[in-house]
Amino acid sequence: MAERSAVVGIGQTKYDRCLPVSMDGLVRQAALRALEDADLTFADIDAIVIGKAPDALEGVIMPELSLCDALCAVGKPIHRVHTAGSVGGSTAISASTLIESGMYNTVLTVAYEKQSDGNFMWALSGGRSGGAGAGGSFAPWIRNYMRRSGAPEHIGWKVAAKDRRNGAKNPYAHVSQADITIEAVKESPMIWDPIHFLEVCPSSDGAAAMVITNAAGAKRAPRPPAWVIAHAKRTEFGVFPGRDPVKPVAGMECARALFKKAGITDPRRQIDCAELYVPFSWFEPMWLEGHLICPEGEGWRMVDSGATEIGGDFPVNMSGGVLCSNPIGASGMLRLLEPANQVRGTAGDYQVEGARVALGQAYGGPSNYFAMWIVSSEPNPTFE
Amino acid sequence: MLAAKHAYPRRWPESTKRGTGPDKILPPPVADSSLLSQQGVVIMAEFPISFTLEYPYTRTLGPVIGPFLTALRDGRILGIRCGDRVLCPPMEFDPDTGETLRPDLVEVGPSGTVENWTWVAEPSRKHPFQEPFAFAQVKLDGADTTMTHAVKAVGQAAMSTGMRVRAQFREERTGSIGDVYFVPEDDARDQSIAPGEGEVEISTHLISLTYDDTLYPHAARYAQGLLDGKFIGQRISGDKIAIPGKGYDALARVMLTEADDVELATTGTVLSYTVLTPVKYRGQTETEPYLSATIILDGAGQSLTQQDIRNIPLDEFRVGMRLRAIFKPAAERRVDDVDNDWMYPSIGDVVERWEPTGEPDVALDELPESM
Repeated sequence: MAERSAVVGIGQTKYDRCLPVSMDGLVRQAALRALEDADLTFADIDAIVIGKAPDALEGVIMPELSLCDALCAVGKPIHRVHTAGSVGGSTAISASTLIESGMYNTVLTVAYEKQSDGNFMWALSGGRSGGAGAGGSFAPWIRNYMRRSGAPEHIGWKVAAKDRRNGAKNPYAHVSQADITIEAVKESPMIWDPIHFLEVCPSSDGAAAMVITNAAGAKRAPRPPAWVIAHAKRTEFGVFPGRDPVKPVAGMECARALFKKAGITDPRRQIDCAELYVPFSWFEPMWLEGHLICPEGEGWRMVDSGATEIGGDFPVNMSGGVLCSNPIGASGMLRLLEPANQVRGTAGDYQVEGARVALGQAYGGPSNYFAMWIVSSEPNPTFE
Repeated sequence: MLAAKHAYPRRWPESTKRGTGPDKILPPPVADSSLLSQQGVVIMAEFPISFTLEYPYTRTLGPVIGPFLTALRDGRILGIRCGDRVLCPPMEFDPDTGETLRPDLVEVGPSGTVENWTWVAEPSRKHPFQEPFAFAQVKLDGADTTMTHAVKAVGQAAMSTGMRVRAQFREERTGSIGDVYFVPEDDARDQSIAPGEGEVEISTHLISLTYDDTLYPHAARYAQGLLDGKFIGQRISGDKIAIPGKGYDALARVMLTEADDVELATTGTVLSYTVLTPVKYRGQTETEPYLSATIILDGAGQSLTQQDIRNIPLDEFRVGMRLRAIFKPAAERRVDDVDNDWMYPSIGDVVERWEPTGEPDVALDELPESM
């Protein structure tokens, strides 16, 4: 790469079932907050990279064009990224790549979803009513993971309770349940057996934005930058003979490429915390294994031992994760944005003490699109 | 062949060419061996399937469009002050500087001047009028920008640039842009509009799209197989069988032909399942918990997902169980939802039920990891 990239501004809206703002107003709010954090204005932005989940979610076709005014993108390059649920992650990585290429000095990246304007279930089933929904697709894979790993059923409940408690520390979170118990998760209605209601992500409105700049921009920034150390994206077909959706090859390849680029040889020890895309509780142990953070069969043991709690040796989804806020297009960006919050020391009540190196991951489609990055408080962190 | 052509219009039906829109829905494919030519080669254009996507989306209107639509419902047109100008339709942000505009709304019109126009000779069912009309850019009195809207005029000859038009409001107003239309000023009549109640904050938009998807040859053979009560897959590298085939081998990156088609068994093994407890959402038709199973057909390299199981009690269903597909009678088989999408493939509505074969279960450690 010609240049280094760093996050110098972060902006989020509150996540909620239905925010009383227009789609324009929504992306605008996140963008302005990110600019304010970076002490910049729209005039300082060279290009905009925007991402959201399929247009059918709100029925606005190519919204990047109609959102130009709200993002002050008139007369500037605007890029749209589209990789299903992982899109927020891919969008941030695309913005980072534009900086690293030396093409632009400062880029604004925005991701959003206004889920209340449409119907997720309908849009994701290709406009067919009566579909089984995302949970109906993922539940059989979760059952397979449980069978193969021997994980006891309380693991899912434990992840859900942890994430909802973490969400209570995040002022932007849609769902926060500070006093939730494992028992309450277990007793909640079964939706897609073995997934209980409280193990399912909500449907949220919301937007997230980051200002990403080069080394010179990072030097000028008023607050500590989060240096982008490495990023990787991988895709595989959603369906093919021999595919293992519980541990997709693309997910492993993406993690391998990422760790190699970052110089990480022992991810569990060398990474301080992670935000993983966990829309259903069981994906926490599945991705810990599927992204080679721990050996096969160890993911659920990490959960069981409390290692993924804030204060554990590998905290996961300190912000509450997708289980607490799910503005789909932005959900992936949040997974990359929150690690930046951690290494900048701006994560507030869910800050992991001394976080130096953090991992963000997003996935989409039938577990076949992956986007990951590693950020650090140091431009060139070394690992022992 | 001829019969099939008459039954199934070509990709662009005459009705579409004439611009009468998607009102004419193509007949759904049914079990009919005449879809196949004598040589068994399916001509793509003989297997078009018509899809209609339709959903009532909502829009959260915000601080500017909300009051604008509320005013339309009440028989008034509002613009927004932006520096020295008045923008109509109003915008949330200054189109020049990007600054957020204060919601300083002012009434404009009801008359204005046509700055440009085009004649819509053959309206579609979604147009504001079902008889010919004009779309015009109207600069309302008091506004500095134009609003594109419909002008109801007796004919194209009645339209001209620079002509004066006046707003007319519909009898039934809902707080939408369609509450108003324009007529030549001389045709305008005075209206007495009673204001509605409350603010318009969310609008509803029934967005629909009807399109014809013509199945690729391999997908047409797969669909025809389903109508014939067969599961047709395609053999790819490594002696694996994909179902449905993609028409190419995604792993070896080579094209496949009809010679690679393989008829699979109608028996298979349960790889996994979920029990769905229906949640309420628009369009939901389910009310009781039901099984949705992942089944791998004998010999197949990939499974059939989301197979409805209604005939086996929930507590008897298990991974490793052996099942056989019992097809519906030929005349009842439908493949309406089979399309070229291989990511979320459908087996149409051809299977009556999956019936236990009575064979011993497959041992769990003998199940493939692939789903």
